[in-house]
This record gives sequence, C-alpha cells and structure tokens, in this order.
Amino acid sequence: MSAAARISALFEGVAIAIDALRTNKVRAALTILGIAVGVFVVVAMAAAIHGINVSVARDIEAAGATTFFVERYPVDFNACDGTDETCPWIHNPPIRLGEAAMLGRLPSLAGVTTEIDFAGSFKYADRTLSAAQIQGFSPGWTNTDGGDISPGRSFTMRENASGAHVVIINDKMAERLFPFGDPVGKSVLINNSPYEIIGLYHYHPSFFFGGERALAILPVQTLLRHFTAREGDAQLIIKPRDGVGREEAIDDVTATLRGARGLRPSKESNFFILTQDKLFEVYNKFFGVIFLVTFVLSAVGLMVGGVGVVAIMMISVTERTREIGVRKAIGATKWTILWQFLVESVTLTGIGSVIGLLVGWAIALVVRAATPVAASVPPLAIVAALASSVITGILFGIYPAYRAARLDPVAALRYE
Amino acid sequence: MSLDTLVMPDAEVAGLGTTAERRAVIAQAGAVPSREWVIVARGLTRLYDMGGETVRALRGVDLAIRRNEYVAIMGPSGSGKSTLMNLIGCLDTPSQGEYWLNGHQVSKMTDNELARIRNREIGFVFQTFNLLPRATALHNVELPLVYAGVSASERRTRAREALERVQLGERMLHRPNELSGGQRQRVAIARALVNRPSILLADEPTGNLDSGTSEEIMRVFGELAEQGQTVIMVTHEAEIAAHARRVIVLRDGLVASDDRYADGDPSRRDGRGDPRPAAG
Repeated sequence: MSAAARISALFEGVAIAIDALRTNKVRAALTILGIAVGVFVVVAMAAAIHGINVSVARDIEAAGATTFFVERYPVDFNACDGTDETCPWIHNPPIRLGEAAMLGRLPSLAGVTTEIDFAGSFKYADRTLSAAQIQGFSPGWTNTDGGDISPGRSFTMRENASGAHVVIINDKMAERLFPFGDPVGKSVLINNSPYEIIGLYHYHPSFFFGGERALAILPVQTLLRHFTAREGDAQLIIKPRDGVGREEAIDDVTATLRGARGLRPSKESNFFILTQDKLFEVYNKFFGVIFLVTFVLSAVGLMVGGVGVVAIMMISVTERTREIGVRKAIGATKWTILWQFLVESVTLTGIGSVIGLLVGWAIALVVRAATPVAASVPPLAIVAALASSVITGILFGIYPAYRAARLDPVAALRYE
Repeated sequence: MSLDTLVMPDAEVAGLGTTAERRAVIAQAGAVPSREWVIVARGLTRLYDMGGETVRALRGVDLAIRRNEYVAIMGPSGSGKSTLMNLIGCLDTPSQGEYWLNGHQVSKMTDNELARIRNREIGFVFQTFNLLPRATALHNVELPLVYAGVSASERRTRAREALERVQLGERMLHRPNELSGGQRQRVAIARALVNRPSILLADEPTGNLDSGTSEEIMRVFGELAEQGQTVIMVTHEAEIAAHARRVIVLRDGLVASDDRYADGDPSRRDGRGDPRPAAG
C-alpha cells in the first residue's frame, strides 16, 4: 500500500470512526467510557505517585537525610487486630517529655524535638479556618526543622514552660486569615481563645509535615494544657550533630531509651526508630501496592473498553460489508482494508484515552490545590496512557479488521 | 509486467483442447495475446462446491474481446453470466482455464495482485451504484486513485475531469443522498473511468433506474464507446443489450451465441432486438 493510500485511509478512518460514534451513541459511549476509565486511573495515580515522590524527596532533602524519628508505634501497614500476635507493640508506653529531655542532653545529638499533632479552628476578624492543622513543638524545634521564621521569632523555653498563648502560623494560614498586612503581633482566636502571633513560618510544600496547608505551631506545653491533646501521641524528631553518623546517633538513642525504660538485653525495644529512608521505603511499598491495584483496575477498564471495541467494530464491519466489497473491487488490498479498520478502532480508543487524560489531569490539578501533594501529570504517564490506548485499539481491533480484510469481494458485493 | 515477457508455452495451448470456437480464439488472438486484444479467455471454468455437490457455473468459455469493443453479455439467471463477470472483473479466479487482461495473465494471480489489476485495468459500474454514502461525489471518484497511490493534487484534478466527462462538474461536492439515481450512476461511471481502465465493466447498470434515466445512462456508455473506451456490460434486458455492438449470450455455462451488429441498426432498438431470446 502506498503512503498516500495509508494517510488518506488514516483521515478517512478517523472520520468514519467519529461518524460511527455519532450513529451508535450508547454503544460508543460505553466503549469510550471503559477506555477513559482505564486511562484516567493510570494518569491520576501516576500523577499522585509522582507528586508524593517529589514531596517526599523534598522533605528528606530539607530536613537533612540524617534526621530520624522515635515513635511509639511502628509506621507500617501490617494488619493489627488488637492481639499480641499481630501487634505486640500495642502495649508500648508513650514517649514522655522527660525522655525527650534526657535524650536532648546526649552529646551526639544536635536537637531533639517533641511533636504532637492536633487541629483547631482559627478566627481573625470575620475570617475563619474551621479545621487547620496544629503542631505542638518543644522549644528548640527549629534545630531539627527545615523551615524558617521571618518576620518574627519562635517561642522561648519560658513561654513553653508557662503554656503561653503564643502561636506561629505558616504562610498559607497567613494568606487565608491576613490577606492584607502583616500578621505578626496580631491576636488570633484558636478554638475561641486569643493567641498572639509571634512569627511567620515558611516551609517548602511537604508531604509529611504539610506546607501547602494552613498550619499553626504552638509550644507543646500550651497544646497539652489548653487543648485535649495527649502526651501519648508524642513523637520525637532527632537530628544528629554535624560529624556524627546517623547509625551512631541511633545506637545512642536506642541505648539511652532502653536504659531509661529498664529493658533487659533479651527484650525487644518498646519504641520504634524511623529513619527517612525507611519512611520512604514504607511509602514506596504502600504506593507499590496502590500502583499494582491501579494497574489491575486500569487493565480491567481497558479490557471492558476493548470488548466494546470488538463489538462496535464487528457491527461496523458487518454493516459495511458491501462497502468493503466495493472498496476491494476498485483496488483496495487486504492490507488497505485492515489498516482502515485498525485506524477506526484506534480512533475509538484514542478518544477514550484523551478524555481519560483530561479528567485525570483535572483531578491532578484539584489534588494539587487541595492537598500538600504536588500532584502533576508526568509526561511519561501521558505517553503511557496514549500508548496503552493505541495498543488496546490494535489488540481488540485486529480481529474485526482481519474479518473485514479477508472478505471475499464477490460475496461482499452481493451482501444485502 | 510487459507483453514481451509473457510467453505461454505451446504445451498449455495444446492442453486446452480443440473445439472450433477455441481454435478460432487462438487463431484470432494468438498464443500470446497481442495489444489489439484486451481480453482473451480460454477454457474458463468455474466450479462451486455447494454442500458437497459440485456446481459447474462456467464450463469452458472461450472469449476474445478487442480493444474499443462495446459488448453486452446476456443470459438467463443461472447461465453463468455473473460468474463470468466476476472472472472478467478479476474479483474471482477460474478453476481452470486462462484469462489474459490487457496482456496480464490474471488466472494465476494472488489476491493482492488481483486488487492491483482491478485498480489499474477495470472500472466497475454496479446496479446499486455502491457509492460511499458519507463521501462527496468528488471523494468517491478519487477513491480508486487513493488506492493507486496518486498524489492528492493529481487525484483532485483527475477526479474533476472524470466528473466533468459525465456532466456532473456542478455537483462535485454533493453527497450521494443529494443526487438523483441517474446522477449517482454517473458518479459511479466517473469513478470507474478515473483510473483510465482498459475495460469499463458494468453489471446491470440500469437495473435500479427508470426507463428515462436508463436511456440517459446508456447514452453516456454509447459516448464513451465512441471515444474508444472498451465497455462490457452484463444485463438481462434485451433493450439495454441492444445498445451494444456485440451481444454474447450465455446458456448453461457456455457461450450460446456471439453476434456483432453494425452501429445504428434500427431493428435492434425497438425492444424486439435480441436476435436469440434467451429461453429459460
């Protein structure tokens, strides 16, 4: 077949496919829907995973790769039904503020911060934020944190000890509550109690800590005294001193905590050390599972669409038997006919994939605006989506196209 | 494939048998068809397997058609005229026998070669017009050129010329459903002509037209024949066949009669014309 015939058949195939869509709306809509769902799922998940990976990588970079965490419970996704077999760690004691203070005196560490997460409502003049994130930090938290405060300052030891009504807000919250003018020095209502804003906090968009969401930082004692936050929810953020390796610091922390808790060498630790790469690994594992599920879902979507493609193409071939006969009579070869019908089926799946791409891309934009996940559609996902739709079109279109191509011209011309 | 390279071994000719008719065809057309003969068929046989029973639709037809002839093929249903048309049109290949079209030996060709031959050498006109409903007249006429691999600009020019030749220059951008039956058939004729085929092959071209429109279409065929186009038309209507200068009547898979007429013989145009009415 000549290039001219092939290109002409391309345009003609696209036009015929669109025409066929118009005449068989319901059938075509179902087919396109199947493909679109498959492609949409691929794109949306690829965007989310891409965004999360970017966020996580940025977090690690900002906090410093040697920073690690001490947790009461493991960060894992193993099932726990409350029995000792599946989760012995359910009996772990909370991490006490006193333990944090003791670790803070270790010479190998640059900083130990207690963190308790909470949420509350914020109000300034007629502007409110109903459920913003609150983090309670121990003084000196800036040593272990990747963000910075300007203008303003962090809270002092004394303010923490006295449970003072001071708060540091991040730029997102400032944008929402103080669209005009400087928030520092203003008084804001948190759960209807007045707090003085002493600093404006900046952080990169973050997956773990939030940075694109409104966030307020309170002294941990203030949080414990004036809110329903509990000490048992505390975790520690630990940063080794410069020149001290992370493993060395972890050994130090583990030995000190075990000693303080009086654990014999034979007993397992009743706390968990979480490093950032471990965290990354856990998230990767988690998203690996999600990715697999996604892959299966999208494969099912594409299969459903594919079966639709077979149906609609078989109907198209049958309805146009005589036309195929005419085309053959005036010189179309088997290959020309095969190509024509493949173009038609790929057009069907292509329309589905474009719709799926657009919806997935729209969802990515929404996710980006609404969550700290910097979701964006990676170029590879677009290529993968288009490629999978073309492959689906060819795979499921080949049989009907083959049927059309091998029609006997005499019989096809006689077909009523 | 050029004529010079085509040599038919004597043994094959000898193997064909020697009926009087066959000898005449060989004598007329030669062992290797010359340029003068657009169609040479020897011993064309076509068998169909109908549920275990072999039906012999053609039983050894010999046929030679000169360039520029205007031929009607007639015969009652079951006489084999459709089968013969399919073979002449290269839509089908014979079970036995040889068929040369414009110097190409068609009887041994593969499907793709047949498609190419149909594209280059044959212009089809069908009873039901068989235009693509969604395409304009111009696009319909362009289609054979698309398959021939002609460039877009040349396609357009040639399709326009062909439409003008059948007086449809004004309606090029109309779709088939915007055209009358006669106009549709003229679009089909333009499509058949656009590749400058060696034969125009029409299958009951007036079967779906009223008598007035039939006359109009037959006038087009007559003009084309006068301009030197070889026209072969399959019909069961004596009145239509009477327009041709040669009438071949098939019966039971064989040529029953083959008569030539001088142009403008008045006795043939009144409907009584068929000299040998096909007896069922």
